[in-house]
Amino acid sequence: MNPLKPGRRTRLSTLRRAGTCALAALGLFAAAPAAHAVPSFARQTGADCASCHVGAFGPQLTPYGIKFKLGGYTETDGKEGKVPLSAMIVGSYTQTKKNQAERPAENASVNKNLALDEVSLFLAGRLTEKIGAFIQATYDGVGRSSALDQVDIRAAHTLEIAGKETIVGLSLNNNPGVQDPFSTMPVWGFPYTSSALGFGLGGAGTMINGGLEQRVAGLSAYTFWNNLLYAELGTYRSLSPSMQSKLGAGRADDPGRLGGGTNYWRLAVFQDLKKQAFNVGMFGFNTTVQPDRNAPGSNKFNDLGVDASYQFLGTRKHVGTVNTSFIRERQTLNQLFDAGESANLKGRLNEFKLNASYHYDQTWGATIGRFLTTGTSDAIVYDGFAKGSPNSSGYIVQGDFTPWGKDASWGTPWANLRLGAQYTMYTKYNGAKTDYDGNGRNAKDNNTLFLFAWTSF
Amino acid sequence: MKGATMKPGIRLKPALLFALLAVSLSFQARAAGNVEAGKDVFATECAECHSVREGKNKKGPSMFAVVGRKAASIADATYSDPLKASGITWTPDRLDAYITAPKKLVPGGKMKYDGLASATERADLLAYLATLH
Repeated sequence: MNPLKPGRRTRLSTLRRAGTCALAALGLFAAAPAAHAVPSFARQTGADCASCHVGAFGPQLTPYGIKFKLGGYTETDGKEGKVPLSAMIVGSYTQTKKNQAERPAENASVNKNLALDEVSLFLAGRLTEKIGAFIQATYDGVGRSSALDQVDIRAAHTLEIAGKETIVGLSLNNNPGVQDPFSTMPVWGFPYTSSALGFGLGGAGTMINGGLEQRVAGLSAYTFWNNLLYAELGTYRSLSPSMQSKLGAGRADDPGRLGGGTNYWRLAVFQDLKKQAFNVGMFGFNTTVQPDRNAPGSNKFNDLGVDASYQFLGTRKHVGTVNTSFIRERQTLNQLFDAGESANLKGRLNEFKLNASYHYDQTWGATIGRFLTTGTSDAIVYDGFAKGSPNSSGYIVQGDFTPWGKDASWGTPWANLRLGAQYTMYTKYNGAKTDYDGNGRNAKDNNTLFLFAWTSF
Repeated sequence: MKGATMKPGIRLKPALLFALLAVSLSFQARAAGNVEAGKDVFATECAECHSVREGKNKKGPSMFAVVGRKAASIADATYSDPLKASGITWTPDRLDAYITAPKKLVPGGKMKYDGLASATERADLLAYLATLH
């Protein structure tokens, strides 16, 4: 699950090991997308996977799935005795166009790697009438370690406001954005799974793009009015290094202490027209981070995002989706600048994503995505990047096959499988199209074929 | 005793025939729906919460043999108290009224559906539901 790959992150990896530079541990690495699929939800509701997920497999949510999540994972078919447990396994083969300069993980080769990416257990489902949970524990087969993964525990209540059905709820979670119901936040965006032994979406990422995942605890309050307006406001606190260690994340990569004013907010307009659906929204995450908990000095991050989704659902025979998001991060690096660990006091980092998918018969899927990261160059912060530039860009195409997960499928809702082939093409990587590392490596040399088998039960 | 057991059966037969006739006339009275189009309407509007398979209850009960069925009568499905108390039999007219505005026909019911405004789509849907037996 940990997206960091020591082979391509020399200075920043060193800084992480030293534990002195929170910026490296926090905002500057894009997180690898997490794979999630939870059949216990299907067993609880009696619904098939295709009711909640585009393509009959997680995590891209349909309007029905969005409402299920906002309802606190509590909806049920009324039958007792459902056990809210699921498991998931992801295995893969990764091949890059040219061999990597270093082995991407301790037990991996420089190319053509077979991997057991993840084995996850989920406590996922209704706990009481108004409380539900999505708690994931993961064995990372690449890093060969286990940790508490994504957590989203919700309480939700439905009432009427101005004569309209309104959900009000709370989310206790460990990753800003994991509680979001739409498929545009970094944690839930395409690609929904990717290689832990490849090159991700580049070496730089915003704070809300996994910079704090599993190292914080947050509480947010939300409301969903008239199936139309969604609003959420919350705050986060950093977990202590010892707690991070107990939960499996380790203390060496502790990002530091978050400021008391850390806040997360979200606004969205949503429309479920049955044959189609869309949402348009904005979100923000603002925090200060004190990298050294025993010394003063902190860095400030202000992330602001806009996003939109469209789904053509029709009769579910032909389903098309478009998702996009743009995140702009303003960085004020007081602590790093004073310590001589950044060249600029202020910087920006932008992330743009656009993807479109088509699924036939909730079985055969094709997705194409564009990603673009741009930002202020900083020769110290982005040491090892071409001209200190964080810029990366490229395209991802994926074809997948999901044989089950429909109403009359074999083994439903226990048997779930997605087989996929994904290819990532880099037009720019860590600052340049060519010779980005100073050793003659070009962005396209990182082009990655990722074949995966993703199952859950 | 034999005569006593036979009599209610004899008395029920005309009632059953009358009900079937009423259902039949009701279908004839409304615009004939298109079964294939109704299958699509079901897939778009209903399938997330209802299955057409016999005995398969999701959040809502199976729609298998729903036409002519007494409301809230599947033992394995869950229903709201207002629906249980409604006394409704799902004739095409009642189904049409319910699908048009669920909360108007059954105030306090738990079906989270705003209603299907198109009379043509409702007719198609009812035609499809009538084939499920």
